[in-house]
This record gives sequence, C-alpha cells and structure tokens, in this order.
Amino acid sequence: MSQFPTIYFIAEAEIDLNDLLAKITLPSTGATAIFTGMVRGVTSRGDAHETEYLEYESYIPMAEAKMKQVADEIRVRWSSVEGIAIVQRIGKLYPKTPTVLIACTAAHRDTGVFEAARYGIDRLKEIVPIWKKEVGPDGQEWVEGDYIPKPGE
Amino acid sequence: MNHIKLLFFATIRDRAGTKSMELDIPADMTIQQLKEKLGVDYPNLKESMKSVLITINREYAFDEAVVPPNAEIALFPPVSGG
Repeated sequence: MSQFPTIYFIAEAEIDLNDLLAKITLPSTGATAIFTGMVRGVTSRGDAHETEYLEYESYIPMAEAKMKQVADEIRVRWSSVEGIAIVQRIGKLYPKTPTVLIACTAAHRDTGVFEAARYGIDRLKEIVPIWKKEVGPDGQEWVEGDYIPKPGE
Repeated sequence: MNHIKLLFFATIRDRAGTKSMELDIPADMTIQQLKEKLGVDYPNLKESMKSVLITINREYAFDEAVVPPNAEIALFPPVSGG
C-alpha cells in the first residue's frame, strides 16, 4: 500500500482539483470518486437561513495528522483504493466555493471507491480539528459539531 | 511543577480572549483537574469546560490522563469542518 499516493493538507489557497487528481491517478486507475463540500448560501432544510460567508480555522498540525489517520483508516477498509486526497480550505469562504475535497481513486468504480470517499468526509467531520463560524444577515455564530472522539481516535 | 502550553480554538478562544498561554501546573495534574483549575482561574471558561474537547500533544485526551511535562494542550469545541 505504501506505493499509493496519499495527499492531505490544510489550504489557504483555492483547491485545485486537476492538480490533485493528477497526483492520485496511477496507470492502473480507472475510477475516481470525488466529494467536495461547498458554502451553501441559502439553507432551507431545518432552520432556514441565509449565509454571507463561512470563516474556517484549524489546529493545523493536528488536523493534518488526523487527515492522515483518516486516509489510513480508508486503506484498512478498502484495499482497492489507490490514491487518496484530503484537503480542507480555511479562511473566509463565500457561497458556491468548494471548502473541502475528498478524492479516492481505484481501478474500477465497483470496488468501494464511492463508499471510501463518503467515509473520508464523514470521518473528517468527526475527528479533524477544524471549525467554522457562520456569518449571515442576522449576525455570526460558531458551528459546533456533536461528535465526541473516543480514546485512540 | 510542569510547564505547559495551552492553545484555544473557536468558541473557547473567544471566551478565553486569547489564542494561547503558558502555565505552570503541579506534576501529575490530570486533565480533569486542569479543567477545574481553568474554570476557577478564568470564570468565562467555566461553562465551556463541561463539553470541551482536549488534546495532549495533538492526540485526544480524557479526564483521567496525566498532563506530561512540556505538553501542548489544546481546548476546543466538537469539530465542524467540511
């Protein structure tokens, strides 16, 4: 598994999908599942509201270590996965902007590659130390998650 | 005494009014005792200490853990990346 590329970092600059894809694509790759989160300007589900921007911050050295841990967990669960990229952008991000990207490559699409990318974003939202403050017409508020990590996580 | 560094993020940083501080604490102080001390020394943090997540040297840590010398301790709310 060590010959497979694994990329993970906190970024202040725009996420460059083509660059990341080039880095995680091998001669044997035939499928890539990509998830990106976006800043949603208009929320209708639940507490309907509008968002002017989100401001992200991170405990960067720990965040990057935990991103590597998420990638390691993906490899334990899906040995078919070839390359993995996990990138979170921080700073002030406006609606329609990609904020996070998880991409997994594999030889074929029916090898669990969709589930691997899904697992990656779910775990990032549980254990990687990143927070966002939501700023809208009615003021600003930190968004708090609800996951409490367990020993060993 | 142990010399440690504290880092605060998100809501905890706002309430502490600072990003970081250095502190001398008794050797073998636990995370639980550190939370109690911070709640007393910084009343703004008292309420936050009930639900705060704490890391020691960039790994999640729990109430019974003993704070090692020169530790980098971070305090923050449940994460909300993505």
